[in-house]
Amino acid sequence: MSSRANAATRKLTTAARTAAQSVIAERGGIGVAVGFYVIVVSVLSGLWRVAAHANGGRLAGYSAVAITWYIATTECAVVSLNIRMIDDIGRDIGSGAVAVELLRPASVVAVRVATEVGRALPRLTALAVAAVVVASLEAGAPPRPVTLLLAYPSLVLAIAVNIVAQHAFAAAAFWLRDAGSTWFLYQKLVFILGGMLIPLEALPGWLHGAANALPWRAMAYVPARLASGHLEPVLLLEQVAWLVALGAIAAAIFGAGQRRLQVVGG
Amino acid sequence: MNGLLATMRNALAEAAAKRAALLSAMTIMIVNDAVWVAFWVLFFHRVGHLHGWDSRRVLLLLSVMTSAAGITLGLFSNARRVGQMAVEGALDAVLALPVQPLPFLLVRRVEPVNIGDFAFGITLFCIVGHPTPVHIVVFAGVVLAASVLITGFLVLTGSIAFFAGRGEGGELGFHAILLLGSYPVDVFAGAAKVMLYTVVPAAFVSSIPARLVLSFDPARAAWLVGISALFATAGTVAFTRGLRRYTSGAVWTRG
Repeated sequence: MSSRANAATRKLTTAARTAAQSVIAERGGIGVAVGFYVIVVSVLSGLWRVAAHANGGRLAGYSAVAITWYIATTECAVVSLNIRMIDDIGRDIGSGAVAVELLRPASVVAVRVATEVGRALPRLTALAVAAVVVASLEAGAPPRPVTLLLAYPSLVLAIAVNIVAQHAFAAAAFWLRDAGSTWFLYQKLVFILGGMLIPLEALPGWLHGAANALPWRAMAYVPARLASGHLEPVLLLEQVAWLVALGAIAAAIFGAGQRRLQVVGG
Repeated sequence: MNGLLATMRNALAEAAAKRAALLSAMTIMIVNDAVWVAFWVLFFHRVGHLHGWDSRRVLLLLSVMTSAAGITLGLFSNARRVGQMAVEGALDAVLALPVQPLPFLLVRRVEPVNIGDFAFGITLFCIVGHPTPVHIVVFAGVVLAASVLITGFLVLTGSIAFFAGRGEGGELGFHAILLLGSYPVDVFAGAAKVMLYTVVPAAFVSSIPARLVLSFDPARAAWLVGISALFATAGTVAFTRGLRRYTSGAVWTRG
């Protein structure tokens, strides 16, 4: 690796580490996230377990135990992140606050993504522990424990893909001046097409097909599919592919937006 | 009372002045709620019936929930910010005014995005609630009672910040009651079900009101009104007691 690439990696690692340390220092936030997570998982997985039992023990190919681990994992992937990230990024762009970041000797979008990943990791780890506890207590042992070894790295990739995609979405604010409430819509795409609320196998055929072709399933469904006992390592490759593709898109849009911002700023 | 009415009028005028923003915010929230309709339709399409609930009944529940939450979070939007304002010392401006702090705080700010919730709830009721005159009256009554309950609960959990010095309790309470209220209470069992009737009274926010619309029962209605009054009183008492411990942050805001 060249010394320039090394320096860039060091800068991003420092940004991620600093963000992680600030989240760890402010423990109240993690506590609230875990409390919220436990409530959400208990409710949603309870609903699906009742439904599975009412349908002869299986639903859309998932047993009551498997679907509990599925829901515990999808929620873990989503609750780890700042739900209004798109709104926050859009506000920074719209207000011009992002201009200050252009002065740094590093890519704005790369530093922002590294910071958000760093911020999410302590939460993700705490929630992953909570997921194991809640799912074990409510449904029992994981259907295939070995898949959990793939589920954690998959969760890390899931939040990385999600963060990068949110930056690509929010960069529209360079032109629109505001990402407004689009975070609402984005979240709903994760809810349904990402498989957060409902396993993709339970969707009607046409919607299932559409969801399989879109990136949102890499943000929730993939780690959940693994944690629910499906040993499908190829899913990790799919996440890496989406990460690279969305990263390139986010960098291109941010790059174009930054040039426009410089023109507007005179 | 005149002061409160004038304040509310101003808050509404402020929201209405930005008409484009109001309409876009409402539209976004309507789309957001429509996704939940899609979820429940997909869910019951796959599952059929569940403990006496089907898609029509759950959509009626959703209409009550979004209407009530729309009133609270739209017209009394500061109800969910009590904890945050207490922690940040942002109540100074309110305390200097010759009005009761809590009612003033509640009516001071209108959140346009949640007016979309209200519009959605009413529309959904018109579609799935068979809006006969009796149903309309019952629906209006239960929505008002549920809204009073949500407001009281949010003020109560937000006021914990006066005593604990942190605002997270209010935020957790906000998410808990809205989330739990979105599901039919009968899918829960054991301790979770007890919790939904007591600590986080989500059953009284959606499931019981929806049942009253489907089949009115005076005893159940009396319970709903009683629990709503209880939480409204508890919220008022907690806020009033909490104000005695409030430490100014010398922050002046428009609330």
